Amino acid sequence: MPADPPTPEPSPGRPVLTVDGLHVTVAHGRTEAVRDVSFTVRAGEAVALVGESGSGKTLTCRAVLGLLAPGVAVPAGRISLGDTELTGLDERAWRRIRGSRLGAVFQDPGSYLNPSLTVGRQLAEPLRLRLRLSRAEARRRAVDLFAAVGLHDPEAVHDRYPHELSGGMLQRVLIAIAVSGEPELLVADEATTALDTVVQAEVLELLDRLRAERGLALLLVTHDLAVVAEVSDRLLVCYAGEIVEDGPTAEVVAAPAHPYTEALLRVAPLGARGRRELAVIPGRPPEPGTAGPGCRFAPRCTYATDACTAAPVALDPVPGTHRRSVRCLRAADLALQGAAAPDRTPPRTPDREPDRTEVPA
Amino acid sequence: MSAVRTIARQPLGRAALAVLALVALLAAAGGRLAPLDPLAQDPAHLLQGPGGAHLLGTDYLGRDVLSRLLAGTGPSVLAALEAVGAAMLLGVLPGLASVRFAPALAWASLRAVDALMTLPFTLFAIAAVGVLGNGLHQAMLALGVLLAPLFFRVTRAAALGLDRAQYVEAAELMGGGRVYVLRAHVWRKVLPTVAVTTAHALATSLLTVASLTFLGIGVQPPAPTWGGMLASDLGFLSQQPWAPALPAALIMLTVGALNLLADTVRDADPADGPALDTPASNHPADTPKEQADARRPAHA
Amino acid sequence: MTVTTEAPTPAPPAPAAAATAAPRLRIRGLDVAYHRGEPVLSGVDLDARAGEILGVIGETGSGKTTLARAVVGLAPVTAGRITVDGEDRTALRGRALRAARRAGAVQYMFQDPLRSLDPDLTVSRLVGEPLEIARVPAAERAERVAAALDQVGLDGALAGRTPGRLSGGQRQRVALARAIVTRPRLLLADEPVSALDASNRNHVLRLLDRLRHDLGPAVVVISHDLDSLAGVADRIAVLYRGRVVEEGPAEAVLTEPLHPYSALLAASAPSLDPGRRADLALLRTPAARPPAASGCAFAHRCPFAGPDCAPRPAAVEPRPGRLVACHRAPDWRSRLAR
Repeated sequence: MPADPPTPEPSPGRPVLTVDGLHVTVAHGRTEAVRDVSFTVRAGEAVALVGESGSGKTLTCRAVLGLLAPGVAVPAGRISLGDTELTGLDERAWRRIRGSRLGAVFQDPGSYLNPSLTVGRQLAEPLRLRLRLSRAEARRRAVDLFAAVGLHDPEAVHDRYPHELSGGMLQRVLIAIAVSGEPELLVADEATTALDTVVQAEVLELLDRLRAERGLALLLVTHDLAVVAEVSDRLLVCYAGEIVEDGPTAEVVAAPAHPYTEALLRVAPLGARGRRELAVIPGRPPEPGTAGPGCRFAPRCTYATDACTAAPVALDPVPGTHRRSVRCLRAADLALQGAAAPDRTPPRTPDREPDRTEVPA
Repeated sequence: MSAVRTIARQPLGRAALAVLALVALLAAAGGRLAPLDPLAQDPAHLLQGPGGAHLLGTDYLGRDVLSRLLAGTGPSVLAALEAVGAAMLLGVLPGLASVRFAPALAWASLRAVDALMTLPFTLFAIAAVGVLGNGLHQAMLALGVLLAPLFFRVTRAAALGLDRAQYVEAAELMGGGRVYVLRAHVWRKVLPTVAVTTAHALATSLLTVASLTFLGIGVQPPAPTWGGMLASDLGFLSQQPWAPALPAALIMLTVGALNLLADTVRDADPADGPALDTPASNHPADTPKEQADARRPAHA
Repeated sequence: MTVTTEAPTPAPPAPAAAATAAPRLRIRGLDVAYHRGEPVLSGVDLDARAGEILGVIGETGSGKTTLARAVVGLAPVTAGRITVDGEDRTALRGRALRAARRAGAVQYMFQDPLRSLDPDLTVSRLVGEPLEIARVPAAERAERVAAALDQVGLDGALAGRTPGRLSGGQRQRVALARAIVTRPRLLLADEPVSALDASNRNHVLRLLDRLRHDLGPAVVVISHDLDSLAGVADRIAVLYRGRVVEEGPAEAVLTEPLHPYSALLAASAPSLDPGRRADLALLRTPAARPPAASGCAFAHRCPFAGPDCAPRPAAVEPRPGRLVACHRAPDWRSRLAR
């Protein structure tokens, strides 16, 4: 957890997930929706995939989980979990991997639980089968797990049905189920998007704690940069199926190298509590398969030149940095604006003009 | 009619429409197209095979089969339409009303429908004919009454799902009355379901004419109908085993076309939304106006 | 810059006459309960003035949607009064209610335009629906629909599309156009931006901000997300378990909350502030107790609650324009610093 921007880099753990040159096509191979995506998630590291809808972040995440819809395929690229190659696994092998070495939580926890079974049973039963535990032992393990994900009164929660629990509690139950197999990687796909602010903060902290305590590798997928700016070590910014910027979160947030990252930071509500500027990124990402040969963000980018759209732009290391890369021709000569951590002197003395209309007494 | 256009875009829908158009043409002009008098008996040529003066042969009274089939189209189709029309009138409107209006009405109509559904069809038809007099119209009216619960239930089920739809609530918030909501929101959603039911009910009615004829109800000889011909031909199976195939083929062709049409209507239901594998179709790009608007300051 | 921005303009000072006039929306002592069960709202007092955006924030189950639905007559009000420009809305029934709704002075924007817009109707028909119901002649209707689409920044070329063929942001703007086509005096928007990504969210918020300047309605924006209110709201009311626990100018409530729950909300929102975590730890209770049936609604989750929190706290005004309902309001912050 990068508490302060100049945090010394955490000693890199062993790579857990390696995605190399991943391509994903939709519409039965007719349209390329993800192009040449490569990244690594190490043990104890939290990596965030951020982008608007249609950026390919969800397809990438689904490919990692082996949960691709019909008509969606991975024609090229490798995904490996530890030493296991995941691409080309059959459904049975996938199920075995997903139950144990890969965990996942999604946006709508309620739809992943059986409404007619208690949540405790849905956690304990697979445990019992996999680890050949007695019922009492499985129950004890389940209650321990519920406690570990911060559910109050885990004994009582064990015997509840999904409809008796709130959205935040259900998400914790799902996380407990996801980590019950002691996975190496936990994928959270918009896992906090639908939650209330207070609960969202708690769930994010829970994920962060699990990462720290269990050495879990985390892959966070979200459209909301604000959510992951704080809890991720590494940021992958996706745009129109490509990674456009990749680097340590604190550095990227403080000094983005790609104009799209800058734009995302401008529109994200990052702690500005006053009347913040309501910035908008004009236009919309290109539809999959309709992008030109050059930079896909160029039509929406005010820094774009003719050279940007002429030829493909490579994901190159950012000059003068360590472990950062960007897909922008002009990265070297642009001075882009990042988001700074707010001054700690407020809330007592707001440095902004008191520009509110006061309520007439 | 956008519905017709949607159907016509699909090859199966086109085929079904073509068959039904042909049937409609025969129904309208069948009697005039008949080469011979469908009622004229020719005692010299009883139960003849196809060929010669009688293109499709003759029946047990020596009547020309082709002429009878052609002339029988109109009454058969009309009878089926009559039954289904009555059923729709008695089923669809109360079905819609039972959802949007007073709960007492809903309760009463549901009980009436339950009562109707317990009646055995044959018994009811005999009773109806006994009261109203024997004739095709009376029999079809009886059939309509018995088909009405089908329409009632189907319509009510479809409308019930919509009753708590948020756009219905939104329309009520704008001050829209019940009739407005039915007209603007509910009717369009119920229509495909009603169309499918109608096609099935028409098919049922065509076949029922045949089964009623066995009981001597409905079709008054010597007037030709498809079902009546089928019934009488079955009596001479040993002499003319192929004869029932002709009216049966016409019935099957019409019923098949109706079912096909119904399926097409259901599949073209716009509520299903666009196909999933064509993401480009439902994500229109920003129009220039929107892009300009995004750049416009909030306070002009 | 890729991003279009504008200097945030403060809301113009309300004209002297308006300031003294009665608020456009006035809610007093509102209780709502379904089926004689536990009250969803109890004793809610709120005002919204013309040209003002009032933000109502609360978590799931706090009653914020019920509050808006009560104003438009979609929730069972068991006590209290809701007036719009002095006219009592709670007493409206039957024909009078229908007539008031047709007049369109109060508009409610549903949370999910995919569900509140009929999927079979075109944009122009959807936007014109309130006018169609009010029997506005077709020619005038077309004119006003075009004007409303223009006001929300939608191209006339979209008028023939159905909602399924619009993007999420476009759909939300269609819902907004439909709400303003009757030139309402009060607009209630239920989570207008929660389903949108950050850029579209800002776009819709800017529209709301612009519309209240151009058309001058009182706007009530309901949200579970403080960041969508931080951009536009003039005042914010914080709802917790059916009660207003704090109300005041937006920035003041967000940066210097007077109620521990508002503070918890503000500290929970994503931020780069490294000190936030420390605040959060102090604002949370180690183990929540089951909520008490009476008394302070937040006491069961409040780290500052004590035995003296048992009676229900009354709203007090410690500073002009700021209301808080908390027994600990004067001293909890000093305990936070410790």
